[in-house]
Amino acid sequence: MKLPPFAYFAPSTLEETLALLREHGDESKLLAGGQSLVPLLALRLARPSVLVDLGHVAGLDHLAAGEGSVTIGAMVTERRAERSEVVGAQLPLLAEAMPLIGHQAIRNRGTVGGSIAHADPSAELPAVAVALEAEMVAESAQRGRRTIPAESFFQGFFTTALEPDEVLVELRLPAGESRTGVAFEEAARRHGDFAMVGAAVVLRVESDRIADARIALAGVADTPLRRPEAERALRGEEVTAEAFEDAATAAARDLSPPSDLHGTAAYRRHLARVLVRRALVRAAQRLGVSP
Amino acid sequence: MSDVVEVSFTVNGVARSVSVEPRKTLADVLREDLGLTGTHLGCEHGVCGACTVLVNGSSARSCLMLGVQAHGAEITTIEGLSVDGELNTLQQAMWESHGFQCGFCTPGFLMQITALLAEEPNPTEAQVREVLSGNLCRCTGYQTIVEGALRAAASARSATATVRGSDLAPKEPA
Amino acid sequence: MAQVMAQRFTGTPVKRAEDPRILTGRGRYVDDVTFPGMVHAAFVRSPLAHARVVSVDTSAAKAAPGVLAVYTGPEMEALIEPGPYGMAAMMNIWPPAHSLLATDKVRLVGDLVALVVAETRYLAEDAAELVEVEYDPLPAVMTAAQALDPESPLIFEDLGSNVLAGPKVTTYGDVDRVFARADRVVRATISQHRHQNVPMETRGAVVDYRKDSGEVEIWSANQGVALVATVLSARLGIPREKVRARAADVGGSFGLKIGAQREEVAIAAASRDLGRPVKWIEDRHEHLMAAGHAREETLEVEAAVTNDGDILGLKVGIVVDAGAYPGLGGMVTNIIEGMVPGPYKIDALSFSSTSVVTNKATYVAYRGPWAAETFVRERLVDLVARELGKDPLEIRRRNLARREDNRQMVTGRSLAGITAYESLEEVLGRIDLPAFRARQETARNEGRYLGFGVATYIEPAPGTRANGPLGAEQMRMELAEDGTVLVYTAQMPHGQSHETTLAQVVADNMGVPFEGVRILYGDSAVSPPGLTGGSRSATMAGGAALTTARLLRDKVLDVAAHLLEASRDDLRIENGSVLVAGVPARAMTLAEVVGALRQPGRLPEDVDTELKVENVYDGGTGGWSGGTHCAIVEVDLETGLVRIERYLVVEDCGEVINPAIVDGQIRGGVAQGIGAVLLERSAYDAEGNYLSSTFMDYLLPTSMEIPSIEVVHLEPVPLDPVVNFRGVGEGGMICTPAAVCNAIEDALAPFGVRVLEQHLPPARILELVGVIEPE
Repeated sequence: MKLPPFAYFAPSTLEETLALLREHGDESKLLAGGQSLVPLLALRLARPSVLVDLGHVAGLDHLAAGEGSVTIGAMVTERRAERSEVVGAQLPLLAEAMPLIGHQAIRNRGTVGGSIAHADPSAELPAVAVALEAEMVAESAQRGRRTIPAESFFQGFFTTALEPDEVLVELRLPAGESRTGVAFEEAARRHGDFAMVGAAVVLRVESDRIADARIALAGVADTPLRRPEAERALRGEEVTAEAFEDAATAAARDLSPPSDLHGTAAYRRHLARVLVRRALVRAAQRLGVSP
Repeated sequence: MSDVVEVSFTVNGVARSVSVEPRKTLADVLREDLGLTGTHLGCEHGVCGACTVLVNGSSARSCLMLGVQAHGAEITTIEGLSVDGELNTLQQAMWESHGFQCGFCTPGFLMQITALLAEEPNPTEAQVREVLSGNLCRCTGYQTIVEGALRAAASARSATATVRGSDLAPKEPA
Repeated sequence: MAQVMAQRFTGTPVKRAEDPRILTGRGRYVDDVTFPGMVHAAFVRSPLAHARVVSVDTSAAKAAPGVLAVYTGPEMEALIEPGPYGMAAMMNIWPPAHSLLATDKVRLVGDLVALVVAETRYLAEDAAELVEVEYDPLPAVMTAAQALDPESPLIFEDLGSNVLAGPKVTTYGDVDRVFARADRVVRATISQHRHQNVPMETRGAVVDYRKDSGEVEIWSANQGVALVATVLSARLGIPREKVRARAADVGGSFGLKIGAQREEVAIAAASRDLGRPVKWIEDRHEHLMAAGHAREETLEVEAAVTNDGDILGLKVGIVVDAGAYPGLGGMVTNIIEGMVPGPYKIDALSFSSTSVVTNKATYVAYRGPWAAETFVRERLVDLVARELGKDPLEIRRRNLARREDNRQMVTGRSLAGITAYESLEEVLGRIDLPAFRARQETARNEGRYLGFGVATYIEPAPGTRANGPLGAEQMRMELAEDGTVLVYTAQMPHGQSHETTLAQVVADNMGVPFEGVRILYGDSAVSPPGLTGGSRSATMAGGAALTTARLLRDKVLDVAAHLLEASRDDLRIENGSVLVAGVPARAMTLAEVVGALRQPGRLPEDVDTELKVENVYDGGTGGWSGGTHCAIVEVDLETGLVRIERYLVVEDCGEVINPAIVDGQIRGGVAQGIGAVLLERSAYDAEGNYLSSTFMDYLLPTSMEIPSIEVVHLEPVPLDPVVNFRGVGEGGMICTPAAVCNAIEDALAPFGVRVLEQHLPPARILELVGVIEPE
């Protein structure tokens, strides 16, 4: 189980990186933390002829709160984000999902941008990004910078809107608002495994009624999946067990999740309903309103 | 075949330089180029944790890192734990706790626990179990490893004055 | 720090002699062994479960950078003598004949097709990808039912069918009469699923063939070097004396690493052909796919019972899915048959068995290979209780044989000394069952489902003399010049800590410090032939250590009596010195005794001055290990996830040599049993693709899934006047799946669920309860 041969570049600036991608584009892969890419190489499931290591590129490891949002550089490690006070204070949903990603040694190397760009539909971060309506900032040599909303960023299994010559530079995540409760629930075979299903919930309650709700699921489709019908069902409702149960049922309706060794499609559909309900209940409890 | 690259790093406090193919994992570089066979390969796809080392004080799977990525880093392996040939606090505690059986997973557990105790000198059993869930052991059922970690923490606390810096992992850079 | 004199080491948790090297990264596992000029091997393996090999084109691979050789099936056959490998060689199973690398066909995904040797493993894998194989696919035989279908395609043509062994039917006692007498018959079809050993160190070998002398040295991960040497000698056609098989540290095995297997022989053949040392380290992908799988059995059982709850007799029919190549799968039913009555008063048994070949990985030994008997019996006891509306504990109490009954199993095995009943009572003394039932009731009303389960087993570790010879364990012992006791054992430890336990026994019986004993193993040139396995080492090697140390001690005292001019009866050895009663000044260290023997004329000519002993220990009276396990679980009926809240083991393994090591063996086995039920499955799809070939698919339990495991030891019942150590390696694994499944069934009792399978992942739990539809 040894990696296939490739040419290796370790640029130190974004400009150099973009130039390398412009030259090697299709046959290249970006190496961020390597926690997903290296296993694929070792199993020889990925065969890039060029590997461009982002590890020495300056300007990709910023993490800062701005006006109503938090910006996280693509090369910020998951562990740094997990332990960041800014994330803890402003991005409670991200803070809650972070410790569920793999294990400590994985999060020490794995990066926020790497996980997002890898776009594993079972992974926690893409679902969080979708639930938070994050924006991805990408840059290429030819077209400069562009901002891609999370929902159009994830396009399929391990497929994103990033072009072969583009680098994901940073994420912009809307900071938590007042009267907003969040929760991330997942069911995995073991602690640290990819979720069979994960549910990210953002719930805003005003005057005892649900003003807004956002629900995103991991593990049920080829991308993280928003559940607008369930969200609509919640808007304007009082915080009741019935409202949450109905929304959870709506969130699981018409899902065609994958079947694999870890769970059948029927099981994942069932989990989606259970986890959405659990997440809604916990999000409400955080606001001091128990259904 | 791809060309070889010159990589310089510090391993267990000693500056080392090797010429390696970029595709060669840090684990293979440590084992084959530096003869540090204490780091073991149990799965080579980042799940079992046997190959865990410290990179700048933080735990990392050396099978999921290219050797070239370690350029400029400080690496600590199991061979770097004992001090002047004496078992360190953690090793002593594991000996007393009968921590391991076949010993193959041992390097990964010791390095991950070293990182944990550097960050949290007073962990609960639940914390130890959570952090160690990224390391697989097939022999022990984990109980004695968890006990060993807790015993190491306790003996480090009771002998703080005598704990040497090298007992604990280097702090993560700010 | 030295562990001091006159101390009794046996029975205390002496710190392990292995640990100073293990904990500092100085162990020597097979991948740590290198030879000058060593090159590396990688296999080309079949992507198909069953296919004819039409052609193998190695030209591109041979031209790849760093490649020394590429061998196809026919090329390999020219280098070796045909015959069995590994476990099949130990049991001399041949035919069905087969080649080392595929010549005519492949029989499982992962089957060996070609071997590449290159300067590095990286280059070998690069070249392996360039070997072009043309296959003509055949329908795959993926289940035992398919294999039993006479129309199924033949996996081995010369077998004439896909039945490897059986059908064989044996009856014990008057089965018809017992079933006629029964108030009712409880029937069930109970299965164990395919799962596997998964030691953290995979298999591997380094072979150095020296053209000048024709000698071959192999280092490999194994459970016994003698069998490695024997198989290699036979397959290479090299005299046994020219094969030196070695091993130092071995990273676990659990029954897998037996003898020289196909891969190791291929590596050796390549080393001889190339005149270079060759290393092959199995990667995890290869390991999970093709190193071997265990435990795929289906058992149809009928129990003749009375309405009072007496189990009078059993009818058991077993079909074993033995996988692609012959091995233990064709033989394991014999052990299951002998053991299935267990510690119960069962008067009649009819047992029928069939083993079939399928296009799956070969059935291998895995910790308690015969464990189906315990799983099916302990499940059946609970099913009988449910059918009769009784408490499973009551059924166990009624039916367990007591020691004073002096019974035999109906299959003929003596139950002398068993403590199954005592272990059950001890469990119940430690669990407040009424309080649990009350808590369970309260929890159910809150929608939480708790369950309590027990299971009882006995294990022939090694079994009793009355059941036949226990085998023999050879041991050699001598005094080194510095007075160290050198112990040459036939054991090949791979986690069992024999360097510690055997040294404890020797130290006590020789009168030397623990540090004054060195346990030497793993070199066929000097180690007595043997094997570590079958939970035999405590009795057999422990007994050999005890008796051999006493022989050596007697020899030392004989010569010391002359040297010290004292009566032999006044001498004793303590802390490494020979002491004369009442005359402390006249002590001699063992080193001084050895030194004195080197001086000519110090002793009369008729005194045997060779301080060496060779001994064979026959196992003495032997005896059973056994015990009762208890699991308390909580099942989340929304997610199907099971949490083990408490796990208690009450165990009897005779006199304990080192309690920490014994408890470690038990806990490790329990963890594997929990893993089998909740997480681990070696899964294939209908076409024969292997689905569990990474650690993201084959799920080992972690520190989060395995609870703290309480272990209690019963007071041993001595059967032998001298040696009452008994084996403990397998029991944890044998008993746990039944205890956990019984607890889960108890938790799900409100839904009328019957657990008839061993593997209960969360989706399956919800299917059983009816929350979701099965796929």
